[in-house]
Amino acid sequence: MKNPDLVGPNRRALLFVILGIALSLILLSMPLYSFDACVYTKKSPNTFVGDEKYRSVRAEVEQVADGYRAQGMACEIGEDVLERVNSKGETTSLITFTVTERMSRSPLSLLGKGFAASKVLALMLGLLALALAAELAGCVGGMDLVQFRLDTRRAALRNLAALSLLLALLLVPVFILMNNYAFSRQIGLYTAGLLEEGKEALYTRMDALLFEGRMGAEIEKALGGLTASHSGLLWMLMPAMLVSLLAAVQLRYGSIQSSAMKAALYFFVVVVCLVTLYPYYVMTVTAFRSNAETLDMYFLHLFPTKWIWSNLSDIIHRGVPRYLLNSLLVAGGATVLAMLCGIPAAFAMARMKFWGKKAFLGFVIMSQMFSPVVLLIGISQLMNTLHLNDSVLGLMLINAAFNQAFAIWLLRGTFVSISPEMEQAAMIDGCGTVGALTRVLIPMAAPGIVTALIFVFINAWNEYTIATVLISTASNRPITVGITQFSSFNMIEWQYLFAASLVATIPVVLLFMSIEKHLTSGLTSGGVKG
Amino acid sequence: MNSPLNRSRWTPYLWLMPSIILIAVFVIFPILIVFKLSFSEISKAGVIGGYVGFQNYKDAVNLPAFKTVMLNTFWWVVSVVGVSTVLGFVIAMVFNQKFRGRKIARAILVFPWATSLVIQASVWNYIIKYEYGSLNSVLLNLGIIKQAINWRSSYQIEFIWECGVGIFVTVPFVAFCVLSGLQSIDDSYYEAATVDGAGFWDKLFRITLPMVRPSLTVSTVLNIIYVFNSFPIVYTMTKGAPANKTDTMITYLYMLSFYERKKGPATALSVIGFLILCACAGLYMITVMRKEEAEQ
Repeated sequence: MKNPDLVGPNRRALLFVILGIALSLILLSMPLYSFDACVYTKKSPNTFVGDEKYRSVRAEVEQVADGYRAQGMACEIGEDVLERVNSKGETTSLITFTVTERMSRSPLSLLGKGFAASKVLALMLGLLALALAAELAGCVGGMDLVQFRLDTRRAALRNLAALSLLLALLLVPVFILMNNYAFSRQIGLYTAGLLEEGKEALYTRMDALLFEGRMGAEIEKALGGLTASHSGLLWMLMPAMLVSLLAAVQLRYGSIQSSAMKAALYFFVVVVCLVTLYPYYVMTVTAFRSNAETLDMYFLHLFPTKWIWSNLSDIIHRGVPRYLLNSLLVAGGATVLAMLCGIPAAFAMARMKFWGKKAFLGFVIMSQMFSPVVLLIGISQLMNTLHLNDSVLGLMLINAAFNQAFAIWLLRGTFVSISPEMEQAAMIDGCGTVGALTRVLIPMAAPGIVTALIFVFINAWNEYTIATVLISTASNRPITVGITQFSSFNMIEWQYLFAASLVATIPVVLLFMSIEKHLTSGLTSGGVKG
Repeated sequence: MNSPLNRSRWTPYLWLMPSIILIAVFVIFPILIVFKLSFSEISKAGVIGGYVGFQNYKDAVNLPAFKTVMLNTFWWVVSVVGVSTVLGFVIAMVFNQKFRGRKIARAILVFPWATSLVIQASVWNYIIKYEYGSLNSVLLNLGIIKQAINWRSSYQIEFIWECGVGIFVTVPFVAFCVLSGLQSIDDSYYEAATVDGAGFWDKLFRITLPMVRPSLTVSTVLNIIYVFNSFPIVYTMTKGAPANKTDTMITYLYMLSFYERKKGPATALSVIGFLILCACAGLYMITVMRKEEAEQ
C-alpha cells in the first residue's frame, strides 16, 4: 500500500536518524576526557607566600615548567599552602609547588588501546554503523510505503536499525561508567597499593593513551597524582542517540507514541525491581563473604572474592538450628491454634444467625488493630502471672491470639463465597454440623484456608518485638531474635547475621509468593467476595 | 432462616467460644492490665502499689523527650504512610499494565512484604555504613561517586533513612491492595470513556480513583496502624540514639519500661498510644461496616 503523503515525514525521520548518528560521532571525537598528571613536585618548608624563599623556589619551578613546555606539553603550576603552629608556638608554613600537565583525549582515542571500555566503544560504533546501513537499505525505494504494510525485508531491516540504536543507546552509560571506574577508582587503588590484580596491564594502556608509551617504567610515578574527569557533554550522547532511535521507531511503526510509552513502562518496572532486589543482593553476597571482606573499608569488591560456604555451617554451631526450630514451633503452633479457633468462629459468622453477630464482627475487627507492641507491658505482666514468660508456648499463644482477627476475617470471606446448599444437602443426608463442616465446606474452601494458614504462619515467623521482650533464655529464642546475637555492641559478624537471615527469609518469601493473589483480594474486598 | 444449623439458640456461641477465649485472655486482658497499671504507683523494681490518679500521665508528659518523641511519631507515620501510598499507587498502576515478565516483576515486589522487619532493617543498616557499607561500595565501583559518602552524618539524616526503610517495606502492601482493586475494574468502563473522548487524567480521576478508593482506604488505615506500631526498624538502626532524638512512641516506651525502669510513665504512654490506635480502628471499622452494608 502506498501513500505519497508519507514521503515528507519519512524523509525527515531518515534525516533525523542520520543526524543523531552524526552528532554522536562528533561528540565521540571531541576531547571530552581531561587528565591532570602531576609531572613535578617541589616542597618548600618554612616558606611564606611572597617572601624571598618563595620567590626563588617559584622561579625554579617555573624554569622546570618552561622546560616541559619546550617539549610541547601544556603545563600549569599549582601551589598548596599548609600552615600550622609548631610546639614553640611559631607559625610555620609549607608550600608545595606542583607542575601538572593537562591532557585532553577524545573517547574515540580509546579505540584499540585495550581498555575494557574500548571494546564497548567498538561495539557501540559497530551498532551505529549497522543501524545506518540497515536503515538506508530498508528505506531505499520505500519512502512512500505505509508502515504497517511493509514488506518483510524492509520491516526486518528497519527493525534491525531500531534495535541496534537501542543497544547503542544502552551502551552509553556502560561506557561512561567503565571509564570512570578505570580512570578514577582503579588507578587510585593501584597507585595507593591497595589492589595488584591487572595493574601492569592498565598502566601500559594508560601510558599508551596519555604519553604515547614514552613513560615506560616511570608510569607509576606519573599516574600517582593523576586526576581524571570527563565533560558533561559526554552524556549528550544519550539524547543524540535517542533522537535517532525515535526517528527509527517512527520509520518502522509510523507513530512513536505507543512505543515510547512501552519503553518508559519497562524502564520503570526494571528500576522498581532493581531497587527491591538490592537489599537481597546485599544479604546474599555478604552472607558468603569472609569477615575481613564484610568490613572492607576500601570497597574493593562487589562480589565475594571467594565464596565462603562454611559461613553456613558455622551458624549451625552458633545455635541457628535451635532458633529455627523454635520459630517453627511458635509459628506452626500459632497457626494450628489460630485455625482451630478461627475456623469454627468463621463458620458461625458465615452460616448462622444470632444475636450480637455484628458486635462480634466489630470486636474481631477492633482486635485486629491492636498490635501487641503497644500492649507490651500488659502482655509481659500477664505472662508473668501465667508463668509463661520466657517460653515458646507463651509466644505461640500470643501470636495465635493476635492473628485470630485476620484469620477469621479471611476465612469468613471464603466461607461466605461458597454456597451453603452443599452442606445443607450433606446434613439432610445425615451428617451433623461438624461433619458438614469437615467433609464438605473445608475441602471446598481449601484455597482460602491455605491462604489464611500461610499468612498467620508468616506473621508469627517474622514476629520480633514480643519475642525480644518475653524470651530471655538463649535456647528459647526464635530466629528473628536469634540473629541479633551476631550484632553485639562492639562487634558485628555481618556474614553470620546475613547467612542466618538468608536461611530465615527464603522459605517465607516462597510461601508468600504462593498466596499473594488470594491474600490481597481477601484483605481488601472486606472478605465478602472472597 | 430455618436451617438445621439453628438447633439451639446457644449453638452459635459455642462455635465462637474458643476464639473468644483466646482473644479475651491474650488481647483484652493485657489491655485491662495496662489501663490498671497506668493509674497505679510502680516502683523502679516493678513492684505495683496503690492508685495514684493521673500521676503517671503527668510524669509521661513531663518527660524531657516527650515532645520530640511525639513529633517523631507524627512525622514517621505521616511520611511513611503518605509516601508509600502514593508510590504504591503509581507502582500498582504500572504493574497492572500488560507487559512481558509481569509475573516475575510481581513476584519480586512480594519480597519486602514477606521478609521480617528486623532482617530488612539489619540489611539497610549495613548498606548505609560509612566505613564499609554496600551503597558506597556499589556507587564507587560503578564510578558514580569518587569518594565514600557518609550517609548517616547526623541524627536527622538517620531518621530520614529510617523513614525511607519504612517506606521501602510498606510500598508492596499498598501496591498489592491497589492492584487487587484495579483488577476488579471492568475494561468496558475505560472503553466507554475512550469512546467519549476522555483523556488519561479524566480516566484516572473519574474511573480509577473512585473504583480503587475502598482498597486504598483499607490499606491506608491498616498502614497507619502497622507503621505506628512498627518497632524493629528504629530499634535496629539507631535504638533511638542520640538521647531519644530518633525514637518513636513505640521504641520509646520499650526503652522506658525495659531499660530505664520507668514503668509508670511507660504504661501511661501505652494507654495514650492505645487510644490513638482506637481512634484509627474506629475509623476503619466504620468504613468496612459501611462497605459491608453496601454490598449485602
